[in-house]
Amino acid sequence: MEVTPQSPDPPDDRLPTIQRLASVLWPSFLTAGAATVVFFTLFDPVELALLAGYPGVSRQAGYTLGFFAFWLLTATSCALTCYFRRPCPPRAPQAHSDRF
Amino acid sequence: MSLPKPQTDAPPPEPVELYQKHVKIYPREVTGRFARLRTLTLGVLLGLYYGLAWLQWDGQQLLLFDLPARKFHVFGLTFWPQDFFYLAVILIIAALSLFFFTALAGRLWCGYACPQTVWTEIFLVMERWIEGNSRARLKLDQGPVSGRRLRLKTAKHALWLAFSLWTGFTFVGYFTPIRELSQQLIQFQLTPWEIFWILFYGFATYGNAGFLREQVCIYMCPYARFQSAMFDRDTMIISYDERRGDPRGARRRNAAKPAGLGDCIDCTLCVQACPTGIDIRDGLQYQCIGCAACIDVCDDVMAKMGYAPGLIRYTTENAIAGTATRLLRPRVIAYALLLSVLTGALIWGLWQRIPLEVDIMRDRSALYHRTDEGLVENVYHLKIINMSENDQIYDVSVEGIAGLQLLMNDPQVTVAHGSVADVPLRVRADPSELAAGSNSLTFHIRAIGDPKIRLDQPARFIGPAQ
Repeated sequence: MEVTPQSPDPPDDRLPTIQRLASVLWPSFLTAGAATVVFFTLFDPVELALLAGYPGVSRQAGYTLGFFAFWLLTATSCALTCYFRRPCPPRAPQAHSDRF
Repeated sequence: MSLPKPQTDAPPPEPVELYQKHVKIYPREVTGRFARLRTLTLGVLLGLYYGLAWLQWDGQQLLLFDLPARKFHVFGLTFWPQDFFYLAVILIIAALSLFFFTALAGRLWCGYACPQTVWTEIFLVMERWIEGNSRARLKLDQGPVSGRRLRLKTAKHALWLAFSLWTGFTFVGYFTPIRELSQQLIQFQLTPWEIFWILFYGFATYGNAGFLREQVCIYMCPYARFQSAMFDRDTMIISYDERRGDPRGARRRNAAKPAGLGDCIDCTLCVQACPTGIDIRDGLQYQCIGCAACIDVCDDVMAKMGYAPGLIRYTTENAIAGTATRLLRPRVIAYALLLSVLTGALIWGLWQRIPLEVDIMRDRSALYHRTDEGLVENVYHLKIINMSENDQIYDVSVEGIAGLQLLMNDPQVTVAHGSVADVPLRVRADPSELAAGSNSLTFHIRAIGDPKIRLDQPARFIGPAQ
């Protein structure tokens, strides 16, 4: 997309879609992976499931669900960061009046 | 109505292209010494990935991060979640080696060893095999939809998908024993989670190596963004020798070099060969993954023109500028020192590692009992984890208070390798030897067959509070 420097588009909209998607999904994937490793090194998913009252949950299920729960959390956080990084619309010029 | 145009010589403001739209890249086929080196590393690395999972050691998969059993088997050693420390040190060593090699040799990792590069390359090999070289592929993609195009695309994607699924299967095979996994696969007895991860990883391979390719390096790779922090003017990079090449210009072959022109004949083969679609002649760019394809094509052209090779070459910024390159510099020495200290510490730690873990839990249902003889008794549970490779017999003893009695079913506990034994036991003490309330004692757990495997574990003994 060609834009002039005066373009009113917020800069994020000029990023390639792939970069916008990647900036949410990819860092969150990496941190979710790291969090999963650390968390399940300390806690055994089978024991956690027993404590929570869900016997019969396999370790593989625990790891998988744990990873995706972490990913959901971290992706939400990344998406919110991107959302709040967007420039706010410029404030409407205040109405100045000479009548007062 | 149109406004009269102001009469100025200034051109109208050019639209600024801030972000390039993604254009599919058809990297040109390259032959040459670096291409051969890349093919070699590609073969070795892919062979390691698909082969290592099948190798056994002592009846045990050589490399198995056995998640269902919470044990890592690495070249004959077994790691437990308690050994997380070693994993952390190994990861730090890996990161430091990356810094070290980047400072010395630039993006060797990206060009030759990164999984993204390796799998993109093998997917390109398959693509070439079915659809032909880059020009044929471009023609095919731009041409009309035809039966031939449909057939070729179907064949390519089928091959890619099969390869991706095999990749996903091998990946899961590093986390659940691959021989059992293949049995389950043949008998259609994979668990839903195994199927899910095979598909997930297979799909990631298909997408990353088949479609995203250089975009992963440019938009997703954190290393590509921060590697410049490890670079200095003595780091080995791939660079175009501007002083020799410029001014560029086309010329006839076998003719004398036209006056006023450098060695670059502006054939743009270096651009056509680049898998990330950059022009190396524009200088060092973070999109350059250091694959050296441009070196190979340029050397070919130089040979055809009768010029010396190396117009594009591995060099350093200092060398290009005509100053000496220093190999040993503070940054390199610091990385090397840190690396050797940590590696030494890891080897020492593994050498000293005692493959035994003991948890002592005091029975909390009662603080203490009184026996008929008037002794004070505490009940404990010993959890003995045999992390060694052999079955062990452990001798359990206790000391710390005079006249302690240890009551167990059998003072020698047999624990199979890789197993956990839960041992209930009772300790009795004469109340006259006890301080009021809490007392310290120490359990000694010794493997009978191996004097190196022993642990002293402190515990509390609770007596009457008078």
